[in-house]
Amino acid sequence: MKQEKSAMQRPTVSRAISRRKFLGVTAGATSALSFGTFIRSGLGAAKINILTWSNTLKAMDDVLREQAAAYTKAKGVEISLEFINQQDLPAKTAAIVETGAGPDVINLWANGAHLFAKALMDVDDVANDLGKRLKGWTNIAQDIGMVEKRWKAVPWGIIPIALTYRDDWLKEVGYSTFPDTWDELLVASKKLKEKGHPVGFSLGRAIGDANQFHYPLLWAFGGKEVEKDGKTVAINSPATAKAVDYRRQLFQGGETEDVFAWDDAANNRAFLAGAVSITVNAASIYWAARKDAPHLREVTNHALFPKGAAGRFGYSSPILLGIFKFSKFQKEAKAFVKWLMEPKQYSAWIGFGEGMMAGLLNYYEDDPVWKKDPKLETIRQIPKYVRMPGYPGPPSRQAQEALVKFVIVNMFARACKGMATAETIKVAEDDLKTLYAKT
Amino acid sequence: MAVIADTAGQEVMVRPWLGPFLRREALTGYALLSPAVFLLAVLLAYPFVLAVYISLTDRVLGEPGTFVWIRNFLKLFQDPLFRQTVWNSFVYTVTTVFLKLTLGLTLALLLNQEFPLRNVVRGALLLPWVVPTSLSVLTWLWMFDSLFSVVNYILLGLGLISKKIPWLGSPFWAMVSVVIVNTWRGLPFFAVSLLAGLMTIPRELYEAAESDGAKSLACFWFITLPLLRPVIAVVVLFSTIWTFADFQIVYILTHGGPINATQIFATMAYDVALVAGRIGEGSAISLFLFPALLVVIIGLLHYLRRE
Repeated sequence: MKQEKSAMQRPTVSRAISRRKFLGVTAGATSALSFGTFIRSGLGAAKINILTWSNTLKAMDDVLREQAAAYTKAKGVEISLEFINQQDLPAKTAAIVETGAGPDVINLWANGAHLFAKALMDVDDVANDLGKRLKGWTNIAQDIGMVEKRWKAVPWGIIPIALTYRDDWLKEVGYSTFPDTWDELLVASKKLKEKGHPVGFSLGRAIGDANQFHYPLLWAFGGKEVEKDGKTVAINSPATAKAVDYRRQLFQGGETEDVFAWDDAANNRAFLAGAVSITVNAASIYWAARKDAPHLREVTNHALFPKGAAGRFGYSSPILLGIFKFSKFQKEAKAFVKWLMEPKQYSAWIGFGEGMMAGLLNYYEDDPVWKKDPKLETIRQIPKYVRMPGYPGPPSRQAQEALVKFVIVNMFARACKGMATAETIKVAEDDLKTLYAKT
Repeated sequence: MAVIADTAGQEVMVRPWLGPFLRREALTGYALLSPAVFLLAVLLAYPFVLAVYISLTDRVLGEPGTFVWIRNFLKLFQDPLFRQTVWNSFVYTVTTVFLKLTLGLTLALLLNQEFPLRNVVRGALLLPWVVPTSLSVLTWLWMFDSLFSVVNYILLGLGLISKKIPWLGSPFWAMVSVVIVNTWRGLPFFAVSLLAGLMTIPRELYEAAESDGAKSLACFWFITLPLLRPVIAVVVLFSTIWTFADFQIVYILTHGGPINATQIFATMAYDVALVAGRIGEGSAISLFLFPALLVVIIGLLHYLRRE
């Protein structure tokens, strides 16, 4: 009580001063502390930051976390994994490359190594060592991982994209095996639509599904964006016209009209809801069916893309691991990436994928994961047929830009909306010419 | 008594101790302003100047570019996709601002009346504006879904349509969808601002007009609208600027599709700069907004100043 009284009697001026002092001291302390952390981050044990996509299959990400923890225990290098939405990766990677600061290891997609080659460090030692010990890299791996004859990123895997179909409905219309040519597919689709089970291949802004269907379609008919030199635009050809006419017939005769609005998740939902009989996807539909629609899983199967006049093609999403030049722990990052690709770790990782992920080293073609389920055998075959956008030219930055701008998909979409074949090809040709005119 | 000059240069008599204090206060004023000015400079001015600089180069991600002056802008004029984007942005902005203005004014007039639970309704009205756009637009995405659209379900059930509407699948309907969502989101801003404006109009004017025999439409046209003009101008100005630069609604709902039917400046700039990696061009696209908006701002402020 006595202390309170004396506190009350103290002049207010002193309280005002002490408040100012309090602010001053706090500000000083905060800046000192932040300076302290700044110093601390520069020294100390090795810490590798990895930015990667949030896998549709959570189990695969959990395996990564466990493996990272095991590595830290064994080697003493701290590993920090950050998972973000796949859609956000391009913007985030762009920001990192521009500012020159961020994670040490980055998950790149498709032509990512070509796009960001200048910001990535050479990983020839890692890639060559892995290739030597694990039966060599596939052609696709070299296309996406090597820029001007140097390995700029380690191909981490590929998500094989197949035609997912309802074999019970196909049997109903008289097909015991999946149609092997595009023409047969058209006939089957018409029959399926008549029975109320149309096919569905996205013609909308589905950066995965839409591109993954239409590039192989174009290539199978003999069409191409550019010539082998990677510069001369060659889209305007009779082969492309045939492909466009075919796509229009497929849409009008056998497909659901919803496809213009489909993003990447829409066809999964449609298939699982029983609204379509055939669509293009990774093994994720099959995997999701186990939880959401087990009876569907029995009747769902996968098929290779049909054969066309120019052969059989596919386009799947390859992923890579790149190491930035600005990383302070390049040696440790390389060592960790190499360790991840070793059979013990990698096999466990794709094992949980159950067909979602295939390895790009020939060794992993015989991985036990493919024996888990006979329906996965087709998926195992797919990487053989995969080509990258820009084929037959190299997977260049312009090809990637054409992809994200949906040049090819929109060409087919306009045709299905009613535009004349010659006209829609001309629009695509102009778009591509504008694109490829840039260096 | 000391004599100092005040801000207008007149000599005034002030108390002796006030003189130096006034002079010092100006300095204190500047000192207090400086953090805000600094933040503005760093967060607004610097990025803007940098964007202008980058738009004059051919920079791609991660590589230094070379100066190409206005080549990016000229190339954009020739790009049919860009012309489509300009048209889309124009249609989008004009339609939504017009709808928001008319519907907002209607709402404001209604809310100015007396009715039970008026305050509750006024508060609830703000919800579309307050809820984070990304979340609300995701819900709209579900409502417009091609397979599971609740809107189609209801319309079909009521017998108002015979075939389901391709909300996000047809170029026309996709634009309708984004306009609907933008109007829904922006209505509270218009309604509340116009309501505030309405409440400042003195009742006596209406009473005087009614005693002269004016009907309600005449009251509205000759009293309400002219007195609301400053508020309308300001609200339209802000809304035009925000809608021109809108990103989330189009990005989440249609991502510029189908076939670029709803591609607007911000989404195209994002695709070109961040996804395709051409930040020189992306900056040029986003800077196209600037002269257009400048014209709008000057026009509206001139209109305001006439009052």
